[in-house]
Amino acid sequence: MTMSLSRAAQRRLLLWALLLPMAVVNFVTFILPMLRLGMISFIEARPGGVLTDVFTFGNYIDFFRDPFSYKLIWNSLRMSLIVTLGTLVAAYPIALFLYRVNPVWRNILFVITISPLLVSAVVRTYGWMVLLGNKGLINGLLMSAGLIDGPIRLMNNELGVYIGLIEIMIPYMALALIAGFGRLDPVYEEAAAMLGANAFTRFYRIIVPLTMPGILLGCLLVFVLSVSSFITPKLLGGGRVFLLATEVYDQAIVRLEWTQAASTSVIVLLIFGLAMMLYTRIARRYE
Amino acid sequence: MTPSALREQSPAAVGSDPAYLSLTDVCKIYPNGYRAVDSLNIDVPEGQMLGLLGPSGCGKTTTLRMIAGLIEISSGHIRVAGRELAQEPPHKRDMGLVFQNYALFPHMTVAENVAFGLQMRGIPFREARTRVEEALEMVRLPGYGSRKPKELSGGQQQRVALARALVIRPRILLLDEPLSNLDAKLRDEMRVEIREIQQRLKITTVFVTHDQVEALTMCDLVGVMHKGRLAQLGTPEDIYERPNSLFVSEFVGRTNKVRAEVVDLNRIRIGSEVFSADTGGRREGTVWATVRPHRIALSPDRDRALMSRQTNAVRGRVLRVTYIGDIVQYDLDIGGAEFKVEHHTTSQGARYSGGQTLMCEWAPADMLVYGEET
Repeated sequence: MTMSLSRAAQRRLLLWALLLPMAVVNFVTFILPMLRLGMISFIEARPGGVLTDVFTFGNYIDFFRDPFSYKLIWNSLRMSLIVTLGTLVAAYPIALFLYRVNPVWRNILFVITISPLLVSAVVRTYGWMVLLGNKGLINGLLMSAGLIDGPIRLMNNELGVYIGLIEIMIPYMALALIAGFGRLDPVYEEAAAMLGANAFTRFYRIIVPLTMPGILLGCLLVFVLSVSSFITPKLLGGGRVFLLATEVYDQAIVRLEWTQAASTSVIVLLIFGLAMMLYTRIARRYE
Repeated sequence: MTPSALREQSPAAVGSDPAYLSLTDVCKIYPNGYRAVDSLNIDVPEGQMLGLLGPSGCGKTTTLRMIAGLIEISSGHIRVAGRELAQEPPHKRDMGLVFQNYALFPHMTVAENVAFGLQMRGIPFREARTRVEEALEMVRLPGYGSRKPKELSGGQQQRVALARALVIRPRILLLDEPLSNLDAKLRDEMRVEIREIQQRLKITTVFVTHDQVEALTMCDLVGVMHKGRLAQLGTPEDIYERPNSLFVSEFVGRTNKVRAEVVDLNRIRIGSEVFSADTGGRREGTVWATVRPHRIALSPDRDRALMSRQTNAVRGRVLRVTYIGDIVQYDLDIGGAEFKVEHHTTSQGARYSGGQTLMCEWAPADMLVYGEET
């Protein structure tokens, strides 16, 4: 290092130098492939999937001309919203309990809550198939107990996808909720109680608004993860549930239509962008 | 108006009025056996202000929270106007509580904060709005309704908290160290203001503080608490002039505490000197004697035979002089024991200096005698 640099300048240089390795890795493994993806979505492919050099809007025009595409968008949005809401309802009590339990228990219970992340979503999905199948544990138990005559369809439909995805998403939601619970102080509930608010009113007038940052963060995270998940919908949907993410998978891996897969991916990215915009707009209100 | 002038308006009678808020044998015993509050008995007449004074951990805040219903009592009774409230949840007790950190809802505006209690009571919007405005005017914050709590200073937040607690016209107002987060000047201001509002509304109030000045200047009744028990309950004058225990006399105000031997019913010996004091019926034994630093008069040395026999008069040697500004403190050696003496300063500054021998005098009534510390 030359002597002409001031100490402050040296410090600044050091900070940039420390950032550089990750920046390079990110650029090579994330930014470049994303740019490449964007480029491919505007390229014509010969029949059979070979990429040409010809620029075209055709992939997007094909996408928006096909009525099935709208069904895919609608399915993806609808199912992701339902998963998000379901996960919120399932994880909120857990997060609230963890936030309030005494610190000794909190750490142990916290580890237990996020421990499902140790097992990959694929393995957990197969686990759910064992439980939910027609000859699975749940149907088996219900039938041997004589409560039902034939098996209930718990998978190979949307219900199966909901069950699997919500379970997979709970740790993420719980983490995000707890991270956003900073403003929740029991003294506000006490103040509300002194002013005459019963437990129910305290919940929706005090606790919910104060935890809104966590709720929004968790919903954004789970929504994005749900829209982009394809293994669980594929396996638990049994080929009957059609989503944008599963369509990208089919286009790229099964049908080898890379250009279409790229344009569909870009549309999924646009949906993420919209979700982010919505999030920042709402989140600003709760700062 | 000065705090003392405010107090003169209210007859501080103890036990003459019927109790409005009444605590009977109130205990708080934690599962580990710790008695946070032990057999508390306090009656507060309607419209009066009770100060609960004590060091941290004495149980005063626990008591306040039990009155509020935020802590369950282990045994005993809490009654307001004769009605038992001990089993009622806090939201049904109809009490206003001002928290130490104000606890204003951060997601609501000032007006929404103040209106919250009115909404809970189903007050129509129009009336609620008028009452919120009145309440904000009362605490001298008109026009602040649309602000968020974080945009206000500590003193303003404090006023909003007071308005929020009072707008519901509660049966009891509870104040949990409301002044402890304010700077000294603002604290003096709010002391007068809170007392004024309390007297105007004639609202029965319980005020928790560790600051004796707040308790003495603002309250009709002061309850000094020590280790979960009520050490003394009385008017501010009772507490200061006639503390019933060594703890109260040391905790409220400053005092000299020295070892003494009882000579007879009216005399005690400290070191080599004998003083007049009421021994409280004791004829012998070792006791503690106290006398407040500012009740000792100092004068240049002279012949003791010339002085009145009505006072305790004794020679003392000045050990140290500490100039504090409004007062000057002399540390004196009197008969082998060390006494602190405080005098108001004049433009001449300290009148005596170290090493000087002075004549020290105080009335026998200013010398209080206590048995062993409990």
